Amino acid sequence: MEVLRLPLSASQKGKLISAGYTSIASLSSVSPSHLALELKVSETEALEILKSVSDGSRLQSTSSSFTIVNGAQSAWDMLQEEETSVHITTSCADLDSILGGGISCKEVTEIGGVPGIGKTQLGIQLAVNVQIPYDYGGVGGKAIYIDTEGSFMVERALQIAEACSADMAEYSRLHHKGPQACEVKTMQPKDFLENIFYFRVCSYTEQIALTNYLDKFITEHKDVKVVIIDSITFHFRQDFDDMALRTRILSGMALNLMKLARKFGLAVVVLNQVTTKYADGQFHLALALGDSWSHSSTNRIILHWNGNERYAYIDKSPSLRSASAPYSVTPKGIRPSDSNNKRIKHV
Amino acid sequence: MLYIKNLHFKQISIIKSLIIIFGGRDMANKRITEMGLPKSIGHIFAARNIITAKDALSLTEFELMELLDVGLAQVKSALALISEMTSPRYQTVQTLLDQRKQNEYLTGHLPTQLKGLDAALCGGLPFGALTELVGPSGIGKTQFCLKLSLLAALPSCYGGLDGQVIYIDVESKFSSRRLIEIGINSFPEVFCLDGIAKEMAGRITVLRPGSLTEFTESLQEIKVSVLQYKVKLLIVDSMAALVSGEYEQGPQRQHPLGWHISFLKSLAEFSRIPVVMTNQVRSRGANQISQYIFQESTVEDDTEKFDSRLVAALGIHWAHAVNIRLVLESRSGQRFIKVAKSPMSPTLAFPFQVTSMGIILLNDDGVEMAGPQINAIDHQGHSDIIFHGDER
Amino acid sequence: MGALKYLTEGYATIDTNFLQFCASHGIFSIEDFLVHDVRMLVASAEQLSNSDTLKQGINQLLSIIETCHQPWMNGLVLLENREQKKHCLPTGCNSFDVFLQGGLREGHVTELVGPSSSGKTQVCFHVASKVAMKLGGVVYLDSGNSFSPTRVKQIVTRISGSVENQVNGNLQQALRNIECHAVFDIYALLNVLRQLKSNLEFQAGYKVRLIIVDSISSLIAPILGGNNAQGHALMVSVGYMLKKLADRHNIAVVVTNHMVSGEGGNLKPALGESWKNVPHVQLQFSRDHATNIYGVYILKHPYMASGGSANFMIP
Repeated sequence: MEVLRLPLSASQKGKLISAGYTSIASLSSVSPSHLALELKVSETEALEILKSVSDGSRLQSTSSSFTIVNGAQSAWDMLQEEETSVHITTSCADLDSILGGGISCKEVTEIGGVPGIGKTQLGIQLAVNVQIPYDYGGVGGKAIYIDTEGSFMVERALQIAEACSADMAEYSRLHHKGPQACEVKTMQPKDFLENIFYFRVCSYTEQIALTNYLDKFITEHKDVKVVIIDSITFHFRQDFDDMALRTRILSGMALNLMKLARKFGLAVVVLNQVTTKYADGQFHLALALGDSWSHSSTNRIILHWNGNERYAYIDKSPSLRSASAPYSVTPKGIRPSDSNNKRIKHV
Repeated sequence: MLYIKNLHFKQISIIKSLIIIFGGRDMANKRITEMGLPKSIGHIFAARNIITAKDALSLTEFELMELLDVGLAQVKSALALISEMTSPRYQTVQTLLDQRKQNEYLTGHLPTQLKGLDAALCGGLPFGALTELVGPSGIGKTQFCLKLSLLAALPSCYGGLDGQVIYIDVESKFSSRRLIEIGINSFPEVFCLDGIAKEMAGRITVLRPGSLTEFTESLQEIKVSVLQYKVKLLIVDSMAALVSGEYEQGPQRQHPLGWHISFLKSLAEFSRIPVVMTNQVRSRGANQISQYIFQESTVEDDTEKFDSRLVAALGIHWAHAVNIRLVLESRSGQRFIKVAKSPMSPTLAFPFQVTSMGIILLNDDGVEMAGPQINAIDHQGHSDIIFHGDER
Repeated sequence: MGALKYLTEGYATIDTNFLQFCASHGIFSIEDFLVHDVRMLVASAEQLSNSDTLKQGINQLLSIIETCHQPWMNGLVLLENREQKKHCLPTGCNSFDVFLQGGLREGHVTELVGPSSSGKTQVCFHVASKVAMKLGGVVYLDSGNSFSPTRVKQIVTRISGSVENQVNGNLQQALRNIECHAVFDIYALLNVLRQLKSNLEFQAGYKVRLIIVDSISSLIAPILGGNNAQGHALMVSVGYMLKKLADRHNIAVVVTNHMVSGEGGNLKPALGESWKNVPHVQLQFSRDHATNIYGVYILKHPYMASGGSANFMIP
């Protein structure tokens, strides 16, 4: 029965069925007052019911392009869009090149690694880099930084912002020789810090609430182009006994983040911790939160040590090949690795 | 209620401020009735015993539809409102920085007075963060802790924080004599004053919990006293000793110290003090593989070399939770202090010595490390003598 | 189907008198009528003055019901239907086609199950590209922002085996054939399926050969668990709609399902036993990270032995 599939409460569905409204077509031509009378509900409730019915079918008339399902987009249009879309640079050329230009907007990217590998550093770097203006090949957006671990360091953000500002000044000096040099506005470290919205989250309830609220917040702050969650794991690793519930909440949250990324065309970067996992008779490292979470991100990058160098490895991505690239963490932030060995290793 | 009535007035005010600081910050327990939901739906929530934001947000939209027997649209709008009321407010990083600069000594750092280390950490151990010291026994962790407690207790004119210190001494290693010895040798100009040694020592409160449960209980009390007195530093020496025996290696879902991590973090953050903890080492177990499944095992010879080395106790989950990890080790007879994890510093190693002044660096320019070296803990040629007597 | 009173306009014999008569027996909808014993109804109608018109009404109702269910079909008709209408769609990956004896069959719901980065989405892209190039429309329902037009472009270019610039016309045609829709909750999915159904039924000009839902488990997992029966009902409903679309319009349906650890650390499909009877074909994927060779293994197939496996590479 079709009405069972409507997003209504069980009792409303029950009333509809007992009044004989089992198909959606049967509800299409009923007036609210008539329905209210028949279901013995208030007129506002009847109106709500009819609204939830029409939400599905109304779209049919408004479609502008010729698609089978309304709201769908053909792959060709998406390709055109994607070819003009922008990436947020990681400040490490090797890393950018395996990522196809940087962290992609519209997608959820998960970054994990052992403690001290530079996850938070990369997070802060992205929060700064997203603000590089169009003129400098950047995105020119703002950043939301959600800190669940208390590991965000203001001093470090300042250092990275200073380095970025200095790089920009250098860039404009090279590319705009002559009088117009001063016309191009270079951003001051202060400007960078002004544009990072910092949320400190103290419990998993707050984390869920904030994920829900972000939709509204970003609607009010349209120029936010990256949301960084550092880390998604912390609160979910303690105080949870019911693992099935944790899985449900996490998958709900993942869908919410996907929706945000898509709706506002922004990059969502989720940092994750690692854990030891037993499989095939031996222990190895794996990102935390379990197998069902591993499906929740579009791209997955693992930061790891390879000999004496830090490497980023693309563990999962629908569009990128698995590859790894070295990077280093310097006082200025994330930078290319110094070694001149073969840079990128394609698997 | 009766219990609260019998409390001293001052204690009540403390509890009130506690509620403001802890309860007030954590919005999870905020009541739904106070959020201004439309009456009709508010009643439904109450009738189904969904009282706090935590209750509501721990359920999926779908479960709520089932439980409350209302449509999706209504659930969505109610959740949107609850979420908005529950989520924390933002601050821009600039305002955060300005606040720290204005309100806090040295923009929120406890200097260790080890020049190289302070420079690497942007001024010292940051307030509001967990700093961990890892190293084999006898390397000087407790020495470092004693020095830090002195620094926090010293009057600000001598570079200290002029506050109280809470020292949780699990292994009964705290020695007042050594503390004063370090004080006299490091700050002769302060300690020559009459009675100052006593006063300094008096500012340091030592607690000796006998078990994890006792520790858990004392943490609750500490929370109150941190707010009540001018506590500027909390030291736990050592964290690993609390769970030795109770902690089994291997994959497990709940860390025995999971709750403590969150608690210490929130304590550090909301009272804006540094928290220092020490951690022990243990030999690398056979299952201590530091590789991902995708990594080829080409570094076989390397791992053999590292097998003789030690790793930090308490596992990887704990390592994720601390903000700064300093590793103390000794290589060919020379002791090093390494910044193994820090959100702001490169991974540097400094040679150090333990003297009558406590820990001193031999060199203020650290050596940058890379790779497995950072977390490896050496103990070759390490003598077990803590005191190097009067070398200087 | 629905309330009887909506039939008054179309059928003269179903008038107010008839409705009153039905109402006196507690019959308001066709469903009520169906669960009623017809002979009893006729018997009670005969005791009334206007028994003839009432009996006509009952007969009319019975004949309406006749038209509502599917016609009976014997094996021969089914075989014919299968041979003429249910073709095999090539997957764009030769070893895979050989393994599946031709590819994905129209009318079947094929489920790809595997841990993350085991090649499920890549197989979806390949099938979508291949079908879009030669055969017709593809509807791609994406719950993980994982549809990558750039990657599809690569695949189309590679399959057609020519230089990038030369295929541009074909490429555009192929990509235009793929329609992508982001769905983030179960109701959105149901909505899209409903639209698809009505558009395919009532509007000519659309030709859809393939529907891909990647991944279905991330949409269904949040509504299962706890102890609600409604979630279960919705899951079954989604399965039913997919199967019906596949059969009615000769469409191959591909869904992906992820894996979670079950008892003893072994992986098992996230949607468990009750979902298992929805797909006709269930294929499990795995990937060896060192050699980058993908493996596929038959968990369930209507006419192939389960347990068969093959290896393949994704270029």
